[in-house]
Amino acid sequence: MMEGQFRASVRPMTPPFTPVLLLGLALKPVRLGLLQPVFDAMLRVVRRQHPDILERLEPYADRIVCIDPIDLPFAILLEPNPADPRLTVRRFVDADEVHATIRGPLETLIALAEGKVDGDALFFSRQLVIEGDTEVVVALRKAKDGAGIDLVADLTGALGPFSGPARRLAGMALGAAAGLRSGVETLRQSLIAPAVQGAAARDARLAELEAEVKSLRKSARRGHS
Amino acid sequence: MERPVRPELVCPAGTPAALKSAVDAGADCVYVGFRDETNARNFPGLNFSRKELEDGIAYAHGKGAKVLVAINTFPRAGAPELWHRAVDDAARLRADAVILADIGLIAYAAGTHPDLRLHLSVQAAASNPGSIRFYAERFGVRRVVLPRVLTVQEIAAVNAEISPIETEVFVFGGLCVMAEGRCALSSYATGQSPNMNGVCSPASHVRYEEQAGGITSQLAGFTINKFGQGEPAGYPTLCKGRFVANGKTSYLFEEPTSLNTLAMLPDLVKAGVTAFKIEGRQRGRAYVAAVVQAFRTGLDAVMEGRAVPDIDLDRITEGGRQTTGAYERTWR
Repeated sequence: MMEGQFRASVRPMTPPFTPVLLLGLALKPVRLGLLQPVFDAMLRVVRRQHPDILERLEPYADRIVCIDPIDLPFAILLEPNPADPRLTVRRFVDADEVHATIRGPLETLIALAEGKVDGDALFFSRQLVIEGDTEVVVALRKAKDGAGIDLVADLTGALGPFSGPARRLAGMALGAAAGLRSGVETLRQSLIAPAVQGAAARDARLAELEAEVKSLRKSARRGHS
Repeated sequence: MERPVRPELVCPAGTPAALKSAVDAGADCVYVGFRDETNARNFPGLNFSRKELEDGIAYAHGKGAKVLVAINTFPRAGAPELWHRAVDDAARLRADAVILADIGLIAYAAGTHPDLRLHLSVQAAASNPGSIRFYAERFGVRRVVLPRVLTVQEIAAVNAEISPIETEVFVFGGLCVMAEGRCALSSYATGQSPNMNGVCSPASHVRYEEQAGGITSQLAGFTINKFGQGEPAGYPTLCKGRFVANGKTSYLFEEPTSLNTLAMLPDLVKAGVTAFKIEGRQRGRAYVAAVVQAFRTGLDAVMEGRAVPDIDLDRITEGGRQTTGAYERTWR
């Protein structure tokens, strides 16, 4: 969830400046009731195409996991009960009502869900934050990694005769998103350019001062000997 | 069986998807475990059901790869049935070998399934010719996974003495402190250890807490490390905790780092090693694919007399750091 929403963590991650962050800002006024059907549909598809995920999570059926994309204005609560699994979109989440939280940028969370990145590597490099019951988080990560999820293929595949056009449409959308990403990156570089230049100038000045101090220390030592 | 000229690449898989990734990326063998405490990676959500193993073996065999089943924890006293069943099922499902550590279980496997190929797990910590020959002569063990305590020269010397028994060495992944198969650190804090329960620092006992200065990792209520903002993190194991001794805070046992011997492959091939093992059944299939591809490329280059290409694996290493560990013993 973006800043301003409730978080279990005392120090939320700063979201990266990406198209997703802009999408998150655009989604802020949208009623969650409009988004919930999307997640209901996703859960139906996952249940149908990857039943092994819930099977692997069976020992953790009563644990609630908060999946928190830091660049979107909402979080998703996952209840992995195989008999009645739920994905619920929430604007506010009370730390006491969830057993664990996985937090990171949306693109990272999607790549993780699809097994395109290694969860341990993300954790080592601090791109992913885990809080609460580590066991259920590890189980969830292994379960989805083992399932071979491909969100675009899975979701479009569920559209029957429309799956072909939907896949082409998704491909175009992803292409457009890549273009937008490039534009946003240019914008980001442009916005931070003055700060980067200032930091570079300060670094250079610091190096000069360090060299000067070193030289003065050397002279002082010679003076004492 | 004669020692194969071309070393095998033995790759990890914690899930059926990871097994496919490993085979597709060029693994000669994939090692896996059942979803219980009979193997040393008994992690939540990980490992194979019997049906998944059957399907995995069919997939691997269809592509010319082998499947090895790790049953490498030590059976509970008076209750070896779970471990016996694991050996029986691995044999029934036509696994290419089982990787065992407990001497009683090895005797059971050798006696009950004489055609089943036996590999000695690193957990058995057999690191000298006398010990290795005992397992081979007494039980027919064909391959020994060497503990990560030997230099390349020592491995070559061991190989010269034990031929035709095969050796397998770790070439990439997580490291343990130098007493493999005999580490009880985790059990002091959590009551569970890799040798008995298949879990080192079980996830059920791990908690992370975000604080103003960074993230704190706790094991069974003990704070074992704190990482500053942006500082690379490691596994939450006691051996990789930071402790205060003599007024100085440091990694007392070992730093979070990953073994990487890609550049040493020519030396390991010359040392007569039969198989190169990649650690990491607990890692995702993205890790499996990346590391297997890198080592497939490297090993193929060595076998064709080319230089090993420099392949960047930094992004998947623990703590963002790499070492050649005991193979070179640069700390001496």
